[in-house]
Parts: sequence; structure tokens; C-alpha cells
Amino acid sequence: MDESKRMSEEIKETGIPQVEQTSESLEAAPPAEPATAEQPEAPSEGRAWAAAIAGWLVPGLGHALQRMWGRALVVFLAVGLLVVVGASMRGNVFTSQGSDAFDTLGYVADLGSGSFYFLARSVEHDGADVSHAGGDYGTRFLATAGVLNLLAALHAFEAARGRKA
Amino acid sequence: MNLTHIQSFLLFAAVISIAFGFLGRRRPKDRVKYILWSFFLFLVIGIGIGWVMYPFSR
Repeated sequence: MDESKRMSEEIKETGIPQVEQTSESLEAAPPAEPATAEQPEAPSEGRAWAAAIAGWLVPGLGHALQRMWGRALVVFLAVGLLVVVGASMRGNVFTSQGSDAFDTLGYVADLGSGSFYFLARSVEHDGADVSHAGGDYGTRFLATAGVLNLLAALHAFEAARGRKA
Repeated sequence: MNLTHIQSFLLFAAVISIAFGFLGRRRPKDRVKYILWSFFLFLVIGIGIGWVMYPFSR
């Protein structure tokens, strides 16, 4: 029996198509329960905003709240690694007292890493040194960490709304 | 910490590729393929841009 016939018979029997489950979907979705049991909570705007803000404040937390453990761990480690390496290379951690538009953009990007922004400032004891290439790379690492975390927070927001997972 | 150009480049490409792979794909097999493809493109495009800029370096 070919695949399409098998699927159409499953749909006739169960009323719903059988979707292949992955480890992540098993993590993200609660196990199927009988029809009489309480239905899973529907996606809500409040929950989505909470996931986005949590994910921004602590990288990976937005996914962790939705039990997407793999994504949460990877986001946490990726953002953390970029911040620590960037600060260790004495990249520029921008502050709100920027003198021009580029400083302001850099500040917005750095702030994207949430609480890790303050980690970067604490790691960088001696201040920024962009007179050598390493410091300049460090600045890019820090900005990338922030933008990556914003992207992850947006992903968590969309996942909580049920649009993407 | 002192990293060379190529070390920074490889670290950046690896970290971003892994993050993109996990955020963009669900199945482990798809993730691995996406991570490898993304990493490969980072290398090719990064080194390619380097060579394009080389005549203007002096």
C-alpha cells in the first residue's frame, strides 16, 4: 500500500492526519490526552509577550518556558559565548551616552542581549580597546549576540502564538 | 583573549550556524544539514569577500 492511501485511511479512521513527531515537538507539545480531559491551553497574546520578554531578559528563557529545551540551551550558550568572547577581546560595550547614531545603534544591538549586557560590562574590566583588530571583532561579537538574542526572542514570541515552532 | 582573524571568523560562523540551525529547523537531521550548509556558506562568502577586497587593501 502506498503512502497516500495509508494516510487517507488514517484520516478516515481518526479524523485527523497523522503527523510525524520529532523529539522537539514531543518536548514542546504535551502528550495527547483523552477528549474528556482538559484541552491544552490555546496560544494567547499575553503568554507570547511573556515568552518574548523573558527570552530577551535571559537568553533562551522564552523557549524554556515553552519546553523547547534544545533551542533554549543553544540560544543561551550561543549568546553567552559571543558575549564572553566579545568582552574578553575588549570589544566596545556601548552605553546610552553615545555621541552619534552609530553609538546609539551599537547600544541598541548590545542591549538586545538582555541581562548579558551587564555580564559583558562586568567581564570587561579594562574597558574597550578597538585600536587593534581583536577589539573590533569583539565589538561585532557583542552586537551579534544582542541581535541573535532579539531574533530568538521573536522566534519564542511567534512559537507561543502558535505560528512557528 | 587574542584570536586571529581566521579563528574569530570560524568561531563566529560556527556559533551563528548552530543557532540558526536550531531556530530554523525542527528535525535533528534537517538541523545538521542546515548547520553544515550555513557554515559552508559563511566560509565561502567570507573568504570570497576577502579576496574581492584584496586588490584594494593597499
